[in-house]
Amino acid sequence: MDLGLKGKVALVTGAGSQRGFGRGIVQVLAKEGCDIAACDIDINGAEQTAAEIAQTGVRAIAVKADITNSAEVKDAVKKALDEFGRIDILVNNAGGSTPPQSFVDTTEEEWAKDINLNLIGMTHCTRAVLPQMIERGSGSIVNISSIGGIMGTPGGTAYTSAKAGVIIFTRSLAQETANAGISVNCIAPSLGNTAFYDEFPKEFTDSFVGKAVEAGRFVTPEDIGNAVAFLASDISNRIMGQCLNV
Amino acid sequence: MDLGLKDKVALITGAGSQIGFGKGMAMTLAKEGCDIVVCDMDMEGAEKTAADVRGLGRKAIALKMDITSTAEVKEGVAAALKEFGKIDILINNAGVGTQPKPFVDTTEDEWDTNININLRGTMIVTQAVLPQMIERKSGKIVSMSSTAGLSGMSTGGVYGAAKAGVTLFTNALSKEVDEYGINVNCMAPGLGATNFHKASNFPQEYVDKFVKEMAASGRTTTPEELGIVAAFLCSDVSRKITGQCIRVAGLM
Repeated sequence: MDLGLKGKVALVTGAGSQRGFGRGIVQVLAKEGCDIAACDIDINGAEQTAAEIAQTGVRAIAVKADITNSAEVKDAVKKALDEFGRIDILVNNAGGSTPPQSFVDTTEEEWAKDINLNLIGMTHCTRAVLPQMIERGSGSIVNISSIGGIMGTPGGTAYTSAKAGVIIFTRSLAQETANAGISVNCIAPSLGNTAFYDEFPKEFTDSFVGKAVEAGRFVTPEDIGNAVAFLASDISNRIMGQCLNV
Repeated sequence: MDLGLKDKVALITGAGSQIGFGKGMAMTLAKEGCDIVVCDMDMEGAEKTAADVRGLGRKAIALKMDITSTAEVKEGVAAALKEFGKIDILINNAGVGTQPKPFVDTTEDEWDTNININLRGTMIVTQAVLPQMIERKSGKIVSMSSTAGLSGMSTGGVYGAAKAGVTLFTNALSKEVDEYGINVNCMAPGLGATNFHKASNFPQEYVDKFVKEMAASGRTTTPEELGIVAAFLCSDVSRKITGQCIRVAGLM
């Protein structure tokens, strides 16, 4: 099936980790013919991803941004626009969570950190990328929420609240920009064998993540990439403001 | 993106109407390389769709199937298995509604129509096709829910209840057959410029004005659009998507 993505330009945040969803997203989009701006707070990782992608024949650059810093995000988007002239696809993938703990033990700082990184950060990126999409009357935005943002998880009140916010932000924005020819959807991945859990207590990752990985009950970066590519394609434009559980 | 659907066998119910969602899905899957079992109560329509599938270079057979008749469904599935040896993909598309009216005015016959065709029919066909999927430890099922089955629609409560049943049946079954590598999903289309409203005895004025206006302004869900999402859900590229209801309805 031709997704019609050849020659499109995609900016993907959180694309620096070499075992993350972002890299899988970039790989699938590049395979479909997209040029890539790989964005990450870790510029070395982003450069590694970009270098690998450039070898497949599409154009790829690395841009540095801490997505919670709107000035840095603006700079990164400007750099991508200077290079490619436009951004057709924005994938808000960067995110992360403070280690799981009960709500009463959560500090205001930890709350702010989860909300800033997972909800406010993606609004910075969206605000920076959207105007040129509206101007051109076309564009696709795919946000990465989480299954936790639908079901909730004990010990993850801040993170899951932020991810639930992503789902409704997606729906509202889709309704706002549909007439401008812009599609906005999100994906709720379940557990992945990524760096997401690296800062979590070892006993948690061993028992929870380890068991799921052992049983094959985890999603791969490629699974997420496939879903992103499908939603980013114009052929799925009748899907609007939705959250796809992967 | 290679969906890997070449030489898969898909059975699609309600694929006889030449302007319907079923035919759109049949043609999209055929373009991706599937052979198609075209089922419909209207045998003449099913034959037409099958002929168009063959025109794309794939194999196709037409079967007469009233999905509320367990005997007819079993017979049809047996004939399909005899022809192709397997059914990899089941699309539960056949469905219908009844004339919109206040719930207090609806008859039990109308309840039966909605529930027997949309919900019970989906279960009958699924039960007939599923065993060989379980045996082969692979399969994809995509059923048809509706936006009216996700959020209620005034004067369409019984239809909506039947379609909501499809959504939940989908989710429950997906959990049951996950261990066999079978994905079960459904789609909730928005309004389509199909034969649905006529077949459901909607007022002619509704069809002539509202549906036509919606189609003219590009706000209806087309058979092709639904076919594309069905093909994605039937592919292994979406292997981790199961139990879901995908709304394919624009902003409706």
